[in-house]
Amino acid sequence: MSSRRRVLLKVIILGDSGVGKTSLMNQFVNRKFSNQYKATIGADFLTKEVQIDDRIFTLQIWDTAGQERFQSLGVAFYRGADCCVLVYDVNVMKSFDNLNNWREEFLIQASPSDPENFPFVVLGNKTDVDGGKSRVVSEKKAKAWCASKGNIPYFETSAKEGFNVDAAFECITKNAFKNEPEEEPYLPDTIDVAGGQQQRSTGCEC
Amino acid sequence: MDEEYEVIVLGTGLKECILSGLLSVDGVKVLHMDRNDYYGGESTSLNLNQLWKKFRGEEKAPEHLGASRDYNVDMMPKFMMGNGKLVRTLIHTDVTKYLSFKAVDGSYVFVKGKVQKVPATPMEALKSSLMGIFEKRRAGKFFSFVQEYDEKDPKTHDGMDLTRVTTKELIAKYGLDGNTIDFIGHAVALHTNDQHLDQPAFDTVMRMKLYAESLARFQGTSPYIYPLYGLGELPQAFARLSAVYGGTYMLNKPECKVEFDEGGKVIGVTSEGETAKCKKIVCDPSYLPNKVRKIGRVARAIAIMSHPIPNTNDSHSVQVIIPQKQLARKSDMYVFCCSYSHNVAPKGKFIAFVSTDAETDNPQTELKPGTDLLGPVDEIFFDMYDRYEPVNEPELDNCFISTSYDATTHFETTVADVLNMYTLITGKQLDLSVDLSAASAAEE
Repeated sequence: MSSRRRVLLKVIILGDSGVGKTSLMNQFVNRKFSNQYKATIGADFLTKEVQIDDRIFTLQIWDTAGQERFQSLGVAFYRGADCCVLVYDVNVMKSFDNLNNWREEFLIQASPSDPENFPFVVLGNKTDVDGGKSRVVSEKKAKAWCASKGNIPYFETSAKEGFNVDAAFECITKNAFKNEPEEEPYLPDTIDVAGGQQQRSTGCEC
Repeated sequence: MDEEYEVIVLGTGLKECILSGLLSVDGVKVLHMDRNDYYGGESTSLNLNQLWKKFRGEEKAPEHLGASRDYNVDMMPKFMMGNGKLVRTLIHTDVTKYLSFKAVDGSYVFVKGKVQKVPATPMEALKSSLMGIFEKRRAGKFFSFVQEYDEKDPKTHDGMDLTRVTTKELIAKYGLDGNTIDFIGHAVALHTNDQHLDQPAFDTVMRMKLYAESLARFQGTSPYIYPLYGLGELPQAFARLSAVYGGTYMLNKPECKVEFDEGGKVIGVTSEGETAKCKKIVCDPSYLPNKVRKIGRVARAIAIMSHPIPNTNDSHSVQVIIPQKQLARKSDMYVFCCSYSHNVAPKGKFIAFVSTDAETDNPQTELKPGTDLLGPVDEIFFDMYDRYEPVNEPELDNCFISTSYDATTHFETTVADVLNMYTLITGKQLDLSVDLSAASAAEE
C-alpha cells in the first residue's frame, strides 16, 4: 500500500438549474453523458481519485441534487467545502448573470475563514451547442468577471464532448488543496453508525 | 409551483423531512415547502446571531462569545440511542453518508441529591455508588434477568408472563428499593413519569434491553450518539435524500395555505399567488392550526457555558435525568449538554439545555433544580412552547399532521410518530431491518 499521504477534498458545484452541473460531474467521474434533461434526479455526491505529480487526492464532488432550483440548499451542503465550482451555460445570459448571486450565497452560507482568498473555479459549459452559434456570453466577458472577483480560474467546457473537463478538475483539485489547512484540523473521534455490530477497528485493514 | 404532486409536505422539521425522504424513495412525487429560509422548523439548530434574534430580539450577539457560525444550538435537544429507531432509520435509508457522529460521553441520573452515573449492566451495577452492597446484588440479578430475557424463549421468563405482570410486581420480586426503581425506570427505561409501574412489565424490560444494546453498540461510555454540528444536520440529511430521489424543495415560502374541496378533502397548497395540487398533505401542527389541539407546554432553558456540567467527570456531552419523584413533580426534568467536541460551539464553549413538561407559568423558577446543576453560565435563555397533537381524521381530509416534540432527551417517541404517520399515509409498515441500499443492490 502506498505510504503517500492521501487527501480528501470536498468540492461543491453551484449554478442555475439546467447549466449541466450533473453532466460535468458524470463526465469527469464516469465518462458518461446523457442528453435526457431532467432537473437533477438521483445525483448525489461522487468520489474520484486524482493523481497530480506524486500525490493522490480523493475528490468528493457534491451535486446540488436539484435543491438549487428554488434556492433551497441547506447550510450542511456548504460546510467544509475546499473549493466551489460555479457553472453557467454560455448560451443562457441569465445563468451567467446569476454567478454573482451563487458566489455571494456560497460566501454567506459557508462562511470561510478567509473569504477574500477562498478558491472558486468558473466553468462556462455547453460550448458544443449548435456548434457555438447560439452562444451569448463571450469568453472575454466571462474572463473579465472572473478577474474582477479575484482572478478566479476560468474554463470553457462541454460536458457532452468532454472538452476541457479534465483540465478544469485538475485545476479544481490544485486550488482545493491549496485551501486545505496546514495543521491538522480538530477531528473529533467519530464513529461508524452504518457499520455492523462489530467493535470499531483501530488497525489498518491492508 | 402550479404543478401536481402526490404529497405536499409543509415544514422541514425532522419528522417531516424523514417522511419526505421515505416517500420520495418509494417513488412518490413530493413537494416540500417551509415558510422559513432554513431547514429544521421547530427542530432546527441556530447559529449565535439567530439565537440572539429569537430570544433577545437583537440582531447581533456579543463579540466575546466567538463567531456566530461556530454555534449550532439545537432547539429540540435530544441524543440518539445507539440501537434506537432513529439510528435504524438512518441506516435503512443510508442517510448516514451525509453525517458524522460521535459517542456521547455520559449518561447520569440525579438521585439522593447527587448526580450519579447510570449503570446498565450487571458489572456496572456492582461498581455503582448508587446502591449499597446488598442492593447491588439484587440489582445485578435483575439486570441479568433483563439481559437474558427473550420474548420467544419461555425458559428466560422465570415463570412470569410479562404481558400481565406489572413493572411494580416484577421489581418487587427482586426486592429493589425506591431509589433503584427510580433510576431504572427513568434513566434506563427512560419513562417520563411513574405510570409505567402499574403497566405490564414487557415495555419496561424491552426499553432496558434497548438501553443495554445501545450501550454495547459503539462500546461507548453511554448508550447515546450525537451528530457533529448538531441536530439541525438531521432534517437536512433526510431532505437531501428526498431531493436525490426527486423531491422538490422550496424554502422561504410564506403563508402556505392549504386548500380544500367542498367535501373537506385537501386539493393543494397556495403560496405567493400560486397553487400546487396534491392528493395528501403532511405537515407540522403550525401549518394546520385548526386541526390540532394543545396537549401541554414544555419549559426550557438554553445556556452557554465555559465548562462541563459539574460532577459529570468532565463530560463534553452528557445527559442528566432528574426523575419526577426526586423533585415532587409529575414529569421528569432533563439536562443535556454538548460542546465544541461535537462542533456545536467554539473551542472551550459548552451548550446546556434544561427541559421538562411545564407545570407552572414560570420557566425560570420551574427549571431551577436543573439549572442549579449547571454551575456558572455565560448566558442563559428561558422559553416555553406549546405542544399539539392532531384531531383531524386523515381518511376524511387526507391531512397527516405530526405531534409536537416532547421534552425528552432521546428520539424514540419522535420516530414512533414518524413510523405511525408513514403507515397512515402509505398503508405500509416500514421494515427497519432492511438496508435500502443493500436491497436495491440486490435488485440490480
